[in-house]
Amino acid sequence: MSSDLGILDSLGDEAIGDILQSWSGFCACTQALVDGRGDLSVGPDLVPLVATLCRHGLASLVRDHFLHALEETFKKNAVFKFWQQLHAYYDAQTLAVSKLHSQEGWPEEILNKSLEEICSEKGYLEKCLLILIHAFQSCEESISAEKVNLEQYGSNLIYRYQLMVSSVLLTTLPRHFPEMLRFYFKKKLEQLSTLMAEDYEDGNRFQIDDQKSKSNLASGEMDVDGSNRETIFSKNTSLVKNIGAVVRDLRSLGFTSLTEDAYASAIFSLLKAKVHNLAGDDYRAPVLGSIKEWIQAVPLQFLHALLAYLGDSFDYDSMSSGLKSPLASRPSCYPGIDSPSEGLVRWQLRLEYFAYETLQDLRIGKLFEIIVDYPDSYPAIQDLKQCLEYTGQHSKLVDSFISSLRYRLLTAGASTYDILHQYMSTIKALRIIDPTGVFLEAVGEPIRDYLRGRKDTIKCIVTMLTDGPGGNPSGPGNAGDSLLEELNRDAENQESTDYDDDINSDDKQAWINAERWEPDPVEADPLKGSRNRRKIDILGMMVSIIGSKDQLVNEYRVMLAEKLLNKSDYDIDSEIRTLELLKIHFGESSMQKCEIMLNDLIDSKRTNANIKASLPQPSLSGSEQGETDISLHILDATIISSNFWPPIQAESLNIPASVDQLLCDYAKRFHEIKTPRKLLWKKNLGTVKLELQFEDRNMQFTVTPVHAAIIMQFQEQTSWTSKNLAAATGMPVDTLNRRINFWISKGILAESAGSDSDDHVFTIVDDVNNNGLIHGSSEGLLAADEEGERSVASVEEQLRKEMTVYEKFIIGMLTNFGSMTLDRIHNTLKMFCVAEPSYDKSLQQLQSFLTGLITEEKLEMRDGLYFLKK
Amino acid sequence: MKVKILNWHAVASWTWDAQDEACGICRMAFDGCCPDCKFPGDDCPLVWGACNHSFHLHCILKWVNSQNSQTSQPHCPMCRREWQFKA
Ligand SMILES: [Zn+2]
Ligand SMILES: [Zn+2]
Ligand SMILES: [Zn+2]
Repeated sequence: MSSDLGILDSLGDEAIGDILQSWSGFCACTQALVDGRGDLSVGPDLVPLVATLCRHGLASLVRDHFLHALEETFKKNAVFKFWQQLHAYYDAQTLAVSKLHSQEGWPEEILNKSLEEICSEKGYLEKCLLILIHAFQSCEESISAEKVNLEQYGSNLIYRYQLMVSSVLLTTLPRHFPEMLRFYFKKKLEQLSTLMAEDYEDGNRFQIDDQKSKSNLASGEMDVDGSNRETIFSKNTSLVKNIGAVVRDLRSLGFTSLTEDAYASAIFSLLKAKVHNLAGDDYRAPVLGSIKEWIQAVPLQFLHALLAYLGDSFDYDSMSSGLKSPLASRPSCYPGIDSPSEGLVRWQLRLEYFAYETLQDLRIGKLFEIIVDYPDSYPAIQDLKQCLEYTGQHSKLVDSFISSLRYRLLTAGASTYDILHQYMSTIKALRIIDPTGVFLEAVGEPIRDYLRGRKDTIKCIVTMLTDGPGGNPSGPGNAGDSLLEELNRDAENQESTDYDDDINSDDKQAWINAERWEPDPVEADPLKGSRNRRKIDILGMMVSIIGSKDQLVNEYRVMLAEKLLNKSDYDIDSEIRTLELLKIHFGESSMQKCEIMLNDLIDSKRTNANIKASLPQPSLSGSEQGETDISLHILDATIISSNFWPPIQAESLNIPASVDQLLCDYAKRFHEIKTPRKLLWKKNLGTVKLELQFEDRNMQFTVTPVHAAIIMQFQEQTSWTSKNLAAATGMPVDTLNRRINFWISKGILAESAGSDSDDHVFTIVDDVNNNGLIHGSSEGLLAADEEGERSVASVEEQLRKEMTVYEKFIIGMLTNFGSMTLDRIHNTLKMFCVAEPSYDKSLQQLQSFLTGLITEEKLEMRDGLYFLKK
Repeated sequence: MKVKILNWHAVASWTWDAQDEACGICRMAFDGCCPDCKFPGDDCPLVWGACNHSFHLHCILKWVNSQNSQTSQPHCPMCRREWQFKA
C-alpha cells in the first residue's frame, strides 16, 4: 500500500486526474456489480478501469477494495440472514430437545435451504471476482511481461476470497452451530441406519435361504454378495445425496473440519449405541463379528457413498502399497465397494478401533460378572481378548478388575470357597486373554493376599483340590470332580492340542516391556521357548496362596487321616486316585507319608481278613445263644503305622468289658500272625454300628466308640448321674456332658437336674410315647462329624504345640523392643533359636501362630507391628 | 433297652516292641523303616541279635557285610560282641 501511494508523489496533475476518474468509476462499477443480484452486465465496464489503475501500479489497491466490497456484500446479504434462520430454531432446540426429535424436517430442511441460499450468494460473488480476475488478465495481455505474476494474482484472489468467506462465518459463528450439525448428522445417520438395517436383514435372510449349506452364521463369516449390496444401497442414494449436498455446501463455506467432526461424532455415537445394543449383558454369545459386519454394512457404506459423491480421489494403490495396518494381515471385504479409497480404509481402522475400545470398556466394566459366569461366558472372554490385542489396553483391565475384586469379592461376607472359586475362574478366564500370565499375576495378588489372612484357606484349598465341588456346599454342582482331576485333564488336553498363540507374541512382548514387568527368563531360541513359558500353573497359583507345598501336603495329610480313621469298609479307591494325582504335582517324596497311610489301610484289610479266616466259623445254631456273647466276627480293625500319621488325639475311655475282651483276642491273633509285632489300641477311635433294641422298636446308629460306650452303660442301669457315668466310662465329666448330647438330641436319653446343682441325671427314654421325637432309625449319621470331634490333631494344633517353645522368647523380645514386625520377629528367632529345638518355621507358620496369640489376647497388632497386649 | 453291636471298627497302631526307640545303625525309629525302604512293617522287619540288641534287618545285613570284608567275625555295633542272629 505504501509503495502504491508513493507513486502519487512522482505523478503529474494530468495523471492524477486520470487516476481519480478511473478510481471513482471503478468504485461505482464494483458496487453495481456486487449489488447486481445476478446481473453481471456491468462486468465489461470494469476492464478499462482496472487496466488504467494497474498501469499506474495501483493493482493491489484495486484488489483490496474489491475484496472489501465482496465482504461487505456477503455480510449484508447472506451471513446475517443465514444465522438468523438457524437461530430461530436454536431456542427451540435448547428448550425442548425431545420435542425436536418428533419435529419432522428439522434441522435438515432449514439447514438445506439456508445453505443453498448462502452458497448461491457466495457463488454469485465469486463470479464477480472472476470478472475482476478477467479484467486483470486483459490488462496483462497488454503488459505481457508480468503474465506469470498476474496469473498468480488470480488464484491468489480466489484463495483470499475463500478465506474471507470462512473467516466472516467463523467470526460470527453461533455457539450452538457445531452441536446443530452433530444433531443433523445423527438424525440423518439414524434414518440411514434404519433403512440399511432393514435391507441388511433382508439381504441376510436372502443369503441364508439361498445357501443354507454354505452359510455359517456362527463364525460370523457372512460373505455378502456384492451386487446384492449395491441394489440395497441404491435405494438410499437420495438420502446420501441429500447429506452429500449439505456436506459439500458446508465445505464450500470453509466448514470442512467442523463438518467432518460433526459427522464423525454422529457416526461414533451411533456405533457406540450399536455396540452397547449388540453386546448387552449377554456373555454367552460372541458379538465382535456382528459389530464388524455392521461397521461394514452401515457406516462404511455411508462413508463410501459420501466420499464418492464429494468426489474424493480413489486411491487404487492404497491396499497394495503403503498401508501396513492390522488390516493387512487379514483379508478385508468391502461388500459393494470394488476398491476402497485410502480415506475409507482409514475410516475403517478408526471405526474398528473405536468399536474394539468400546466393547473392551464395556466388558472390562462387567468382567467380574463375566468371570462369575465362566465358562459359559467364554465367548465374551474371547471377544475381550481380541479387543485387547487390538487396543493393547490390558492395564485398564487390571486396574478395573482389581477394584471390583476389592469391592465385591474380598469382603467379610464372601465365603472362602466363593473367593477360591472366583480365583479359579479368574485364572481360567484370564489365561485365555493372556497366556503369559502377566496380568493374572497382577490381578491374583490381591486375592492371594486376602486369602492368606483367612484361617480356613488351606483347608478349603485342600478340599477343593481333593474333594471337588461335591464337598463344597456353595460351589456350583459340577459332577463330583476334584480340581486335581480337572487340572490333570487340562494338562492332558494341552499336550494333545497345540494352541496358536504365536501370532501376537510380538505385541505381547512389547506390552510386557512397556509395562516393565520382568518376563520369565527367555531361552536362547525365542521361538522355541515361547510356548513353554506360557503354561500357567494353576496348581502353583493355588499353592502360592498357602506359601509352600509342604503346608498344603501337611493339611492334606491331616484331612486324609481323619477320613481314613472314620472308614469302616477299607474302601480307599478315590483316595488312591487323589494321591496319584498329588504325586504327579508335588513329587513322590512329598507324598511318602500319605502313601504309607493308604498302604496301612490296604495292609489292615488283608490282616483283618487273615485274622477272620483263622476264627472258627460261627455255628448257625449257636447264633441264638445269649445276645451278650458277641464274637470276634463283629470286630474289624484299622492298623496304622503311627510314626507316619499325624498326631492322634488321645482320649481316655473305658469301653465295655465284652468289647475290651474282643480287642484283646484280636491283638493276640495279630501277634500270632505278625510276631514280634504288637497292637496298641486307640480305643476312642473308629466307628461303631449298633442297634438299640427297645421293647417296641429297634434303632440303628453309626457312632464313635465314645458314644457306644456311653449308651451301653444304660443296659444295666437306666439312669446315671453324670459323675458316676463319667467314672464308669473313664472320661472327664465335661467331656461326657458334651458327648452325651448326641443321645439326648436323638431322643434316646433325657437329661434332668440332679441333687447336686452341677450333677446331671441322664435317663433312658424307654417309652416311645414319652418321646415326642421319633427319629429315622437307620440314619447312618456319624456323630463325630456332627459334633466336630476330630480323631487327628489339626495342623494348627500341631503347630501350636511346636511353637509354644518360642512363645516365651517372643514375649521377651516384645517386652524389650516394644513392637516388632513379622519379619523382624522371624529373623530374630532364626538368629537366636539355633540350639535344639532350632527354629525352622516358615514366615506363614509364624504369622498364624502370632494370630493365635492375638486371639488369646496375649498380643495385639497395629499397622503391621506386633505389641504385647496391655 | 439292649444294645446290639453290629460292627465295631476299631483303630490300633502296631509296634515292634523293641527295648529301644530307634535303630542303632540308621538312627531311624524302629516303628519307621530303614533309609532304603519305602514302607515300614513287613517290608522292613526288625531282627534281634544273640546279645538282645535289635536293628532293622536291612541295616544289620549291610553292617555284617561290611564287617565281613574287613574282619572274619562281624560284631554287634552296639555292644561289640560277636553278632549272631537270635534264634
Ligand atoms: Zn536301621
Ligand atoms: Zn529296610
Ligand atoms: Zn549287642
